[in-house]
Formats: sequence, C-alpha cells, structure tokens
Amino acid sequence: MDFTFTEEQQMMAGAFRELLDDLCSPEALRAAAEKRGDESGARWARIAELGLPGVLAPEAAGGMGLGDTDFVLIAEEAGRAALPEPLVEQAGIAVPLLAGLAPHAPRAAEILAQAASGALRVAVGAPGNPFVLGAAQAGVLLLADGDEVHLVERAGVGLVAQPSIDTLRALARVEWQPSAATRLVSGAAGRTAWARAFERGALYAAAQCLGLTQRMIDIAVAYACERTQFGRPIGSYQAIKHHLATVQVKLEFARAHVYAAAARVVDADQRAAAAVSSAKLAAGDAAELAARTGIQVHGAMGYSWEVDLHFYMKRAWALIGSWGDRSFHMRRVQSLVLGGSLPLGSDQTFVRS
Amino acid sequence: MRLDFSPQEETFRREAATWLEGQLSGPFADLRTGRAHDISAPERRKEWERALGRARWSAIGWPEEYGGRNATLAEQVIFAEEYARARAPGRLGHLGIELCGPTILALGTEAQKRRFLPKMSAGEEYWCQGYSEPNAGSDLSNVRTRARLEKGPNGPEWVIEGQKTWTSLAQFADWCFLVTRTEEGSTGARGLSYLLVPMHQKGVTIRPIRQMTGEAEFNETFFDGARTAAENVVGAPGEGWKVAMATLSFERGASTLAQQMGFRNQLDAIIGAAKDNGAARDPLIRQRLAEAYAGLKIMRASSLRMLTSAQSGKLSPEAFTYKIFWATWHRKLGELAMDVLGPAGELGTAAPYELQELTKMFLFSRADTIYAGTNQVQRNIIAERALGLPKEPRGGA
Ligand SMILES: Cc1cc2nc3c(=O)[nH]c(=O)nc-3n(C[C@H](O)[C@H](O)[C@H](O)COP(=O)(O)OP(=O)(O)OC[C@H]3O[C@@H](n4cnc5c(N)ncnc54)[C@H](O)[C@@H]3O)c2cc1C
Repeated sequence: MDFTFTEEQQMMAGAFRELLDDLCSPEALRAAAEKRGDESGARWARIAELGLPGVLAPEAAGGMGLGDTDFVLIAEEAGRAALPEPLVEQAGIAVPLLAGLAPHAPRAAEILAQAASGALRVAVGAPGNPFVLGAAQAGVLLLADGDEVHLVERAGVGLVAQPSIDTLRALARVEWQPSAATRLVSGAAGRTAWARAFERGALYAAAQCLGLTQRMIDIAVAYACERTQFGRPIGSYQAIKHHLATVQVKLEFARAHVYAAAARVVDADQRAAAAVSSAKLAAGDAAELAARTGIQVHGAMGYSWEVDLHFYMKRAWALIGSWGDRSFHMRRVQSLVLGGSLPLGSDQTFVRS
Repeated sequence: MRLDFSPQEETFRREAATWLEGQLSGPFADLRTGRAHDISAPERRKEWERALGRARWSAIGWPEEYGGRNATLAEQVIFAEEYARARAPGRLGHLGIELCGPTILALGTEAQKRRFLPKMSAGEEYWCQGYSEPNAGSDLSNVRTRARLEKGPNGPEWVIEGQKTWTSLAQFADWCFLVTRTEEGSTGARGLSYLLVPMHQKGVTIRPIRQMTGEAEFNETFFDGARTAAENVVGAPGEGWKVAMATLSFERGASTLAQQMGFRNQLDAIIGAAKDNGAARDPLIRQRLAEAYAGLKIMRASSLRMLTSAQSGKLSPEAFTYKIFWATWHRKLGELAMDVLGPAGELGTAAPYELQELTKMFLFSRADTIYAGTNQVQRNIIAERALGLPKEPRGGA
C-alpha cells in the first residue's frame, strides 16, 4: 500500500505544468478562442517534444511505457491550463486503445509509434459521445460502429463543426461509412476495447476537472485578496472565506478519489468501474462548485468575458457532460452497489487481498 | 384571505389574453419567444413597447394620466401571468417601467411625473440604471461619480464627471437614473443625489462589455462633463441614497410574478427536453424537477403574500428574503437544465457563439445571485436587519 506519487511522476507533471504556464497564458487562450481551437499546431509540437502523447505507449513503440497513475497527473495539468489541444484524448485514450489493439490489428500496430510520438494526431469517436473532439486537426480517427472499432483517414470522413460552449473545444459530428477495410476489430474484442477507452475517458475527464477546480479556486482567491469593498478585501469576509474553503475541501476529497480510480482502471473490472464513476461524480461536483463559487466571488466581473475565469468554467461544464454525464455515472454506481454484482462489505471496502 | 380571482378579475384576464394573443399571433409573431434576455432586433422590441403603450398595457398599475390603467394588484398579477403565458418577449423598457418609473411616481415632483412617465409607458423613451461603479458594487455608497451645479444657457444644470459600469441596456437608453455625489467631501450614503440624465449628449460615452454569454447587454458608461437640468433630481439633493434604496424595493414588486411565469416556461422546456431525451426516467432528475416545481409554487405564494402585505404599507420580513430565494432557485434550475441535456448541453447552435435556449438560460442564470444585491449581501441584510445580529466589521468602522 502506497498512496503517493513518486518523485519521477511529480517531476514529469511539474515540467508539463511549466510548459503549460508558458503555452496557455490567458492571452494565448484568448487568441485560440477567437480561432475556435488550435490551428497552428505549434503548441502541439512543443507538447510532443516532451514525449507526452506516448506516456501510455509501450517502449517498443517509442513510448514511455508508463501507466495511468503517471498520466493522471498529466491530465490534471491539462485541465488546470484549459489546454485547447486534445492531448488527454490522444495520449490517455487513443494511444492505449491502439496499443491494446495492436496485437490483433496490424493497422493499429502500424500507426502506434506515430501516434505515440504525436506526429500523427488521432481523434476518438467513442460510443456514447455524440461528437468528436479535434477531428478536423486529426490525421486519422478511431470510430465506433456498434462494437466495432474502425480506423478512418481524416480525408475519408465528412465533418460538421459543432460549436461548443467552450470555444477552445473544436467538436465535430462525423459523417462516415464503415467498411471491412476500415474495421480494426469487432465482437468481444471491440466491445472490450471501447469499454476500456470509455473508462479512461471518464477517468481523465475527472482528472482534468481536478486541475480546473484548483485553477478556479486560485483565480478566485487572488481576486478575493485584491478586490476591496466596504474598505476591506472581500476575502476578509467570512462569507467569501467559507465559500472558498468549502470548495478546497471538496477538491481534496475528489482528488483522492480520482487517484484511486487511476490505480484501479487497468483492472477493467466492476470495482474499477465503480471507482471511475464515483471519481467522475466527485470531481465534476467539485468543478461545478468551483465555477459557481468563482463567479460569485468575482461579482459581475465573473460574468464577463473579460476575466479569464470563464475559460475554465466552460471547460468544466463541457467535461461534466462528456464521457458519461452525471446521470450516467450515478446510475452506474447505483446499479453496482444495489445490483449485487459489486463485492460489498467491510472486508471488500477496506482491504484488497 | 382569498386566493381565487373574482368574476370581474377573470373578465379582465380574458381581455388581456385576447389582446396579447391577437398581437403575438399577428403583427408581433416574430417576437413570440418568451425570452427574458434578448438584445437582438432592438427596433422591433421598441415597436412592441410602443404597441403595449398605445393599448395601455405597458404600465397598468400607473394612474391613467401617465399611460396606466390604475390596475389593482390582482389585475397586475393577472396581466403578468397572461403576459408570460402568451410567451411575450422580455421588456426592453423594464428598467424604466419597473424601477425608475415607480420611483418617480412615489418620490418625484408633479412636473417630473408629467415629463417622464407618459413617454416611459408609451415606449418612447428608454432608461438605464447608473448605480454600480468600478469601486462601488456591493458597497454602493462608495460612489465617486460627482456632479455640481453650474449656470447653463437655460438655467442651472448639473455637470457630471465619473464612470459607471455594468450599465445594462445603456446602448438603447435615452435616459439614465444616476446615483452621484453632489456634496463635495461627503462620504458614504450622505451627500448623494439621484439625477435623471439624458444619454444622447457629448459628455456621455458608452463602451460595451462582453458577457460570458458572448453578448454585450451591459456597458461601461463614462460621464465627462455631461449635463442635466437642475430640476432633474428626484428627492432633495443630498438625499439620493434614500431614493436609490426605494428604487431597489420596487425590484420586489408585481414584476416578480411575471418573472415567475417566465421561470415556469423555462421549467416546462426542461421537462420537455427530459421527456424527449429520456432523462426524465432518471429518478434523481425526476426528483429535482419536482423540487423545482415546488420552489416555483413557494415563490408564487410568497410574492402574493409579500405584495398584499406591502399594499397595507408594511414591508414584511419575507421581502428581505425573496431575492435570495428566487436567485438561488433559478441558478439551480440552470444546473438542472445542463444535467438534463447531458452531453448535448455544451453545444451551441452556430459559430461564433449562438447557444441553444436552455444552455443560454444556464449561463444567464449564473448572474442571478450577483445583480440586485449578491447572495452574500442579502444574507448580511437578513442577518443584521431582520434578525438583529451584531454587524460584521466593515471598512474603517
Ligand atoms: C447581468 C448584470 C447586470 C447588471 N446591470 C446593472 C445595471 O444596469 N446598473 C448597475 O448599476 N449595475 C448593474 N449590475 C451590477 C450589480 O449591481 C453588481 O454586480 C452588484 O452590486 C455586485 O457588485 P460587484 O459586481 O462589484 O461585486 P463586489 O461587490 O465586488 O462583490 C464581490 C464578492 O464579494 C462579496 N461581498 C462584497 N461585500 C461583502 C460583504 N460585506 N460581506 C460578504 N461578502 C461581500 C459579494 O457578495 C461578491 O461575492 C449588473 C450586474 C450583472 C451581473
């Protein structure tokens, strides 16, 4: 039992954070928002230089061969920065999906190294998500047709852009025709692949919510120290202090939940599913509260486009609805807990043999 | 106590409903949106205001000589209900009709009433509210904008210097009701005056502020040697704080009922969406929908109670609690809408930032707990004024 991150894990996340502080300044986000998502590719290239698209790829494919407890911190940082590029979707979902399929599907094996290096952008249209993030910028797309996993060239699909409430998210509806040539796997293998991709999607959405929550708290705390009304910093009023403290408490508890889910997700069993769902709920609720509190602390300023807060709020609201919305995850926890299939009892809850 | 309406009142209801239906299925069918916030097509919205004015439906509670109908409270309730039921658009003239107009009626001079009220109710002149400043939000008494009397070509005039902010609808306004300091060296609530200032003049500049909804309903408003006649002060010079507070109390008037009917339309839209996409099968969503409905019923009963006791001249304790209740309820309704929409909630309808109706409502409702007194300020008022708890230390005091 060791619920801490190693020094290497923290160093990698720290390096990424420094890079993002540079790449995702408020001015950079504003510029990207005007263009609806990324178009230059310059930010992507800098991130790829750190090798981050390949964190979860095997070393044989040029990746780092690391696991979800390594990547969870990376996803958290991407959230904290409201990174416009879909690094989390590529590195956290597409790459492990390809790596899992590589032994059965030669085309997956062929592109794995390029996906892991970031040279090839891969977008994912998983079952349950009606829209695909970053499809326009991708070279290839992994798409679902029932249980089947298809690999399709960008040139072979039609895209209908879907404006998101978060102007940094470039979403599209994909129009395409599945064929034998595009199919990677079908049947049980496809089902398993998508199920695993979905769990990672939900886990890393939760991780991004952690980072977003911390960012929103930090912005609100800074404003509460600086803004004065009635001759005092508003942060000196208990009403404001208590609101902010409450969010931080919620965040700390969500954090432990998400890290635990990151340690379990690889098991791909019911216990992992329950952990992922309750982590997504906890992190989503923390982010929602952080948004509500952040705007309240800012007063009318928080409602304007001119403060940076709204970028993070909007990303949080978008993520809360993706990779299983609140209802979905709540229902899943309910049916696991009440349906008799999840091992319950103190021996199960507290010890893992 | 009597909760039902009389036969005469029901006749009035039919008259109102018939007129609204005729207009909104006829010449104003394009405005049948039920939307509270909408700054598209301002010219059409002004035509609508003028049509209301011509038919005397614009400010029915006012005396007839100012364009009203002397309507009773029950009739105002009925009209508000029918207005929302007909999905009539939000009122572009509401800052005048609901805030400044009632203030002038209560505290203005005869000449002011004759000069301003008929044009307000006729939809000929539009108003904005100049209270907040960069350093005077919750602490409104920290106003720095100042005005002094000077000789003008047609008699003495106030000359105004300063900056207001978050001024909603200033881009459509002909006049501003402005809280400004008129006694040099005064601080706090003393030495303020409530001026009526024409917007179309050289000394007034507005700069739109973009909201997180993508639209710019509010503005920064700069007064740089702007002028208004000396008689355009409501109440005595230096007594503006009392007048400004009176205006805020009108925010809790009969318009709350119209607002509730608007909320009802939104709740219906959420229920419709939940039935369409299956969210209505989720027991948690069902429960929240039912809670939202109960909240609406509570608000309606409370405002009827509040309004009828205000008629008898007492400001009842529930008047203090109304703002925080509706604001918090509506903010939650916005969150419920997003949870019902699920993954579709984040979607806009068109670039750059056209949003679907319920998503927009969610964003708009983020501001409810801020304007017209933040939740924190409301709680302070309830705790300190209604409950008599000791004051929290503020400022130098
Ligand atoms: C959509 C919208 C439209 C508006 N339209 C207009 C308009 O037309 N005209 C106009 O004049 N104004 C308008 N306003 C401004 C509105 O009146 C102010 O936003 C409001 O008074 C709060 O002031 P502030 O935004 O400066 O926040 P602040 O006063 O700076 O408050 C920031 C935070 O500090 C808290 N706080 C402040 N003091 C205390 C205290 N003593 N104890 C505890 N907490 C405290 C607040 O509750 C809030 O959470 C509008 C605002 C919005 C959002």
